[in-house]
Amino acid sequence: MSSEQDHLKDTDTEARFEFKKEERSAVKSGKGLTEEVVNLISDDKDEPDWMRERRLRALRQYHAMPLPTDWPGQPDLTELDIEEIVPYIRPDVDKREGVDDWDELPDDIKDTFEQLGIPEAERKALSGVGAQYESEVVYQNMQEQWEEKGVIFMNMDQAVKEHPEIVKEHFMTTCVPPSDNKFAALHGAVWSGGSFVYVPEDVTVEMPVQAYFRMNSEGMGQFEHTLIVAEPGSEVHYIEGCSAPKYGKHNLHSGGVEVFVKEGAHVQYSTVQNWSKNTYNLNTKRAIVEADGTMEWVSGSMGSKATMLYPCSILKGRGATDTHITIAFAGEGQNIDTGAKVYHNAPDTKSTIESKSISKDGGRTNYRGLVHIADGAENSSTAVECDALMFDNESTSDTMPYMEIEESKVDVAHEATVGKIGDEDIFYLQSRGLDDDDAKKMIVAGFIEPITEELPIEYAVELNRLIELEMEGSLG
Amino acid sequence: MSTQVHANLTPEQVREISGDLEEPEWMLETRLEALEALEELDMPDVIRTPGRNWTNLHGLDFESLVDPLNAAEEKDQVGPDDVDVLPWAEAIDEHEDLVREHFGSIVDPQENYLTALSTALFSTGTVIYVPEGVDAEDVTIRTEMHSRSLFNYTLVVTEDSSSVTILERQSTGTELDEEQYYSGIVEIAAGENSYVQYGSLQNLSEDSYCFSAKRGETDTYATINWIEGNIGTKLTKTETSTLLSGDSSETQIVGAFFGHDDQHFDIDAKVWHRAEHTTADLVTRGVTDDTARSVYEGVQDVGKDAWDTSSYQRENTLMLSDESEADASPKLIINNHDTEASHSATVGQIDAEDLLYMTSRGVSPRLARNMLVEGFFVPVLEEVAVDELREDLEDLIQARLE
Repeated sequence: MSSEQDHLKDTDTEARFEFKKEERSAVKSGKGLTEEVVNLISDDKDEPDWMRERRLRALRQYHAMPLPTDWPGQPDLTELDIEEIVPYIRPDVDKREGVDDWDELPDDIKDTFEQLGIPEAERKALSGVGAQYESEVVYQNMQEQWEEKGVIFMNMDQAVKEHPEIVKEHFMTTCVPPSDNKFAALHGAVWSGGSFVYVPEDVTVEMPVQAYFRMNSEGMGQFEHTLIVAEPGSEVHYIEGCSAPKYGKHNLHSGGVEVFVKEGAHVQYSTVQNWSKNTYNLNTKRAIVEADGTMEWVSGSMGSKATMLYPCSILKGRGATDTHITIAFAGEGQNIDTGAKVYHNAPDTKSTIESKSISKDGGRTNYRGLVHIADGAENSSTAVECDALMFDNESTSDTMPYMEIEESKVDVAHEATVGKIGDEDIFYLQSRGLDDDDAKKMIVAGFIEPITEELPIEYAVELNRLIELEMEGSLG
Repeated sequence: MSTQVHANLTPEQVREISGDLEEPEWMLETRLEALEALEELDMPDVIRTPGRNWTNLHGLDFESLVDPLNAAEEKDQVGPDDVDVLPWAEAIDEHEDLVREHFGSIVDPQENYLTALSTALFSTGTVIYVPEGVDAEDVTIRTEMHSRSLFNYTLVVTEDSSSVTILERQSTGTELDEEQYYSGIVEIAAGENSYVQYGSLQNLSEDSYCFSAKRGETDTYATINWIEGNIGTKLTKTETSTLLSGDSSETQIVGAFFGHDDQHFDIDAKVWHRAEHTTADLVTRGVTDDTARSVYEGVQDVGKDAWDTSSYQRENTLMLSDESEADASPKLIINNHDTEASHSATVGQIDAEDLLYMTSRGVSPRLARNMLVEGFFVPVLEEVAVDELREDLEDLIQARLE
């Protein structure tokens, strides 16, 4: 057995995410990226021609584009063989658009999501839930009170058919075009599943809507697309969670997220991702924010072998606001390369970025950020704060912010600190009767509090638990 | 792959330069190897973000800028008696072993296209040798440039428990109709427990280009403090860095720049922590006016064995004009967790309230602005321990404001 596989076994932390089910597939594509595979996906979904055309164009762009190779200190992608990835698996469920009654799900899928705590969260705290298994959404529900107000929450494949005008206008056109980068092009070719959220003018969805993505099959790629359109004056909070068990082969997750925040609208996008430690997580997430709109990104990146993810806001209208709160945790064998990008393209725009990272047992975290203030974006302000906590000397932590400032009437500040966990703090807590492990857990919990504060309680608890599990056993 | 193949440079030219300085064979070889490597070497790294090089060195026409056999300069190189401050040819004569040991040991001649060009073609330079236990103030190097291109090389070697303060100034003596190119490499080998202060003030004409690499390496308990002032040129690419390779060694890099018109400054301050208990402090302040552009890259790199590191970096840019641009990338690279490190960077304009306060007290807006700009530089100037350099810098800042 290779050392890689040994390592994957040894880092077992969490039975809850690690259970595997027999693969269930009605349709499974071949490996690799060919027109044949793309046509198979499009055929299987019975898509309109315009979507098929977009896929094929994206595929051509994918083949024409190079992999990113020359970024300073970027994660190693050489082991990622995209030609070996199975890009499409449709689980064999009866209803293609997903059932809206939990009991209609096949037992093993139901059991999967129940173990992950999805139905419970829905009953307690959410306006709607979508659950994706492999490449397709298998369960979708939206509380009636929101449907009556015209809020749409459905899976993306269904939206292509039922709301073609909105999708045609927004889907990978201005926000994340396939030409943006190689993985966006890949995503454009083989995307499947994901969420479509539409909030009409002046409607406030008071409870979060949630989507959960689960990869179960070995060597598959998951490429869900999320499109959120918030009309003027509306408000919505979308939460995404994801997980996959570990396998010997590498999995690839390459999602696409596009958010349109219209005038005065407010969108919060929260994600807690805990991909297995052999998953490459290479995403493109972007929001276009019109005048006086607000975009909030909250993300916790825990799992994956390598993550490259830089959620981006384009502040397009006067007075648009962006907030980024991110936390990254890299343990053994993990490289979490994440950050935030903000383009200030209009006057009076404002952004704040707060990034926290923890590295231990040889894990590697990098904050890679870009703040661009265009000429003419008067009275814009941005504040970036990065804090890195390192547990041991096998770990690495880098901070690479880039600031391009073309306008003088601005206020730009960047601050970063790196430090080890304080011996004195630990000593203090120990002298109050805590053991070493608990003292460290408590310090970490305090360190990440700014993030957990922004999440609904279930997610905050979840994030804390994940971090605790990451730390358990290997400390002290 | 280089984008600049220098067709008009020949080994014969290099032999002639080396012969004029009466260099030994090994040094000629180093030069010839650097010349030959040009074909393979690329420009120094500049910051790149997708779709953009922050400084475009490939846009410069080195083919026509470089005129190796017609170098002309006026140079003062003076120091106290107990220190050797020697022109290159004399240094070779008197201290060949010393030069051979250190030349090219800190800045690799073949690091990039511009270091190789400098190594192959330098025709002027200074070697400063401070013997054990000697405390020397006021070593002064003034270089006035009179030719199309000038390649300068400075080597500083301090023995155990010595100290030295070196002031280096570059200016243009004869302004030609064509653009001019100045290239300077500085290497400092700081011996155990020695203290080196190296101040540099670049005030070349605004029709010239400047490339400089100033790098030092510290032995145990040694200190290298840099002062880096940049006022002149159309385009400057400069790196000032210290490799902290001795336990408990220290460095400080203090920088000030002031760009106006269409000047472009690409300024790097870098420190490599490679030993235990090392300390670094990087402080840079700059102003951009008109359509000037500044690019700042600061790197604090903490190696795996650099236990108990302290590393701090601050960079502030003041923008006086809407058309100017100020880019910054302060990077932290941390491989040892027993580290206390922080960096901060800010970009902003003159505080409107401060301006209002001063004008309401009867100060004219122009004068008020100038006072605020001068005030902005104070925290950096305060760090400049050499009075003469501080005063020069203050004068140049004032002159620019007039």
